[in-house]
Amino acid sequence: MINSIVNKFKQRNFLIGFIIVLLAIVLIGIYKPHVLFEGLQRAALYALIALPMALLLGIVDIVNLAHGEFMMVGAYFAYFMNVQFGMDPIVAVIPALILFFLFGIFVYYITFKHIIGKEPLSQLLLGFGVGLVLAETITVIATNFPRKLGLDYVSSSATIGGFTFGTFEFVYVAAAIIVLVGLQLFLKKTDTGQAALAVGQNPRGAKIVGINVQWIYLLIFALSIALIGAIGPLFGTRYTIFPAVGGGYTLKSFILVAVGGMGSLNGVVLAALILGMAETLVLSSLQYGKWADIIYFALIIGFILYRSHQRQVK
Amino acid sequence: MRTKVFISLLLAAFVTGLFFVAVPAQAAEPIKIGALLPLADATGKDGSRSMELAVKEINEKGGVLGRQIKLIIIDDELKAEKAAAGLDKLCTVDNVDFLVGGMSSGVTMALIPGMKKYGKVVVWAGAAFSGVEKAMEGQDWFFHLHSWDYQQGAFYEKGWAALKEKYPNFKRDKMFMAYEEGAFGSGSFKGQKVLAEQNKYEVQGEAFKSAAMGGGDYRSVLRHAKEYKPDQFIWVGYDKDALPIMEQAKEIGFSPLTFVGSPPAWPVDFAKQPLNEGVLLFSYWADAMKNVSKPSKAYSDAFHKEFKDTPTTYFGPLAYTNIMILADAIKKAGTTDKAAVIKALEATNYDSPLGDKFVFKKSNVIDHQANAWPKFMQWQKGKLEVIWPFEYATAKLIYPFPAWDARGKK
Repeated sequence: MINSIVNKFKQRNFLIGFIIVLLAIVLIGIYKPHVLFEGLQRAALYALIALPMALLLGIVDIVNLAHGEFMMVGAYFAYFMNVQFGMDPIVAVIPALILFFLFGIFVYYITFKHIIGKEPLSQLLLGFGVGLVLAETITVIATNFPRKLGLDYVSSSATIGGFTFGTFEFVYVAAAIIVLVGLQLFLKKTDTGQAALAVGQNPRGAKIVGINVQWIYLLIFALSIALIGAIGPLFGTRYTIFPAVGGGYTLKSFILVAVGGMGSLNGVVLAALILGMAETLVLSSLQYGKWADIIYFALIIGFILYRSHQRQVK
Repeated sequence: MRTKVFISLLLAAFVTGLFFVAVPAQAAEPIKIGALLPLADATGKDGSRSMELAVKEINEKGGVLGRQIKLIIIDDELKAEKAAAGLDKLCTVDNVDFLVGGMSSGVTMALIPGMKKYGKVVVWAGAAFSGVEKAMEGQDWFFHLHSWDYQQGAFYEKGWAALKEKYPNFKRDKMFMAYEEGAFGSGSFKGQKVLAEQNKYEVQGEAFKSAAMGGGDYRSVLRHAKEYKPDQFIWVGYDKDALPIMEQAKEIGFSPLTFVGSPPAWPVDFAKQPLNEGVLLFSYWADAMKNVSKPSKAYSDAFHKEFKDTPTTYFGPLAYTNIMILADAIKKAGTTDKAAVIKALEATNYDSPLGDKFVFKKSNVIDHQANAWPKFMQWQKGKLEVIWPFEYATAKLIYPFPAWDARGKK
């Protein structure tokens, strides 16, 4: 790994790019230090939400358009655990992991199992339908009144040399690192993870060599739902929850997985970093803050043009 | 011959008897009122319950003109297409006699063509956007209860001036407005700039993405507000923005002299949060008004008795007022005839649980505008207290807004 990093630095373009990024970080750190902290926190949240989709879509090629809705259900789970039993949402991550793993198995058996290997449109429509069912079910049970737990620690802050910044959202940074490292270890160091990579690359070939392909799909689907369901409680500590809150994050995650490179978890994190930092930098400008949403679309267009150029060069 | 006469008399008696049976049956037919409300929203929940309460009270006293009121509520789901379909159903399938309700300006705009088509008497509680007012010009069957946006803005300035006079330390020379980037927020900021120029104070504004639209990180706009050092900070957004804005203001250490929130409704969780202490808001009613207004007390007590609950939004007493005004007008008219009811509505003089007397007058555009006037309220020790108008005040103003690091310290 160290050799590959060193080799990267020997490439001229990479070195120039690295120096530019470093200079930008230093300048931003001097003139707008909050952009570095808040940009990193925002990027971490995006990465955290996108990584389970990257596992499912990037590794085993299953599109789940109900991704954000599972997170929303997880957030509601934590909310009601707090209201009924006084359980802190961060603690609720543990039972959420178990519960949503089982829930993922159930959902897979009644839905996605039947369209594995079929055309992508079927997966898109199915995911959309599952998302609608989840959102409407929550609306019926909990109405669409917004819910937000008042937690003292979410507004915790630190001051360095007169500059005050929020500290709670570093939880998202820590969680994103844990999930990324955990998934990388799972995929590269375990037999099941290696099998998942094989299934994603060539399901027929994987079956021929004796991998239980159906079981891999089930496991990865359930793991993805477990992760995104457990991220829900963390999300709900900071953000107001309501039945439609998940949809926007599904789309953002989808874009990050596409831009980061299908199958590349590191690429997803890098894409999230670029998006989070760029959005925060634009928002920090009083005049141009309203253009922050454009960054998201500029990223997609830029990526498509870059990939198209790469193909032409090859 | 005698048999024929006897049978003829019997038939005549039978037919006459049918007439006497039919007439009372027709008189017993209920007066149907159709309502459109967003039932999954706090405003719709309060509104529908309050309308049902009003109808129950009226019917228990024998109804109106010897007829019971039948209330048919349709959920518009805050969606234009659902509302339009609901209106069609009310007017064609349910054949309602009158229309009431409404909340969202956007949904009301979508209903206007249908309302004009059916031409029923409409006593409308919702919609503040003056575009609705313009669209209803010349429609003598349209009666409106909610203040228009321009009326609200002018009234707020009156309130701020009154507070400045009563509290000599009260400052409002510089204002920062954070507004949601949609029509509601942008329109509010546009109006605020005009008011600032007229009343000679500075205003700066910045848009943010509301949590309702996928946002939820307000730190950038709050930092800009902090750098501006305003006397007053006001945010215009939705209920989903309320608590996160407070948390993030605390996080970056932003506490201006007055902190004002202006969403259409507040989340149910907000009342329980210590972060709400000292937050000012505009509303038309708070439960505390039962201590200063008899109609408000009667309404609050009745609502609590019926539902074992308290309304969380002013749409509760406003919807109650909606039904009561219409019922009174039908009673005064002595008939459900459209022209007579319109005339009776024009003579409305109703003491509402909102604390206001509802009288229909001309507004800028329409002929039939009654008003609830907004009040300044403030969260104090978990309760919403009325600060102004002073005749409804239930507490004194806490000023300045308590600094974050000073809270909880003696």
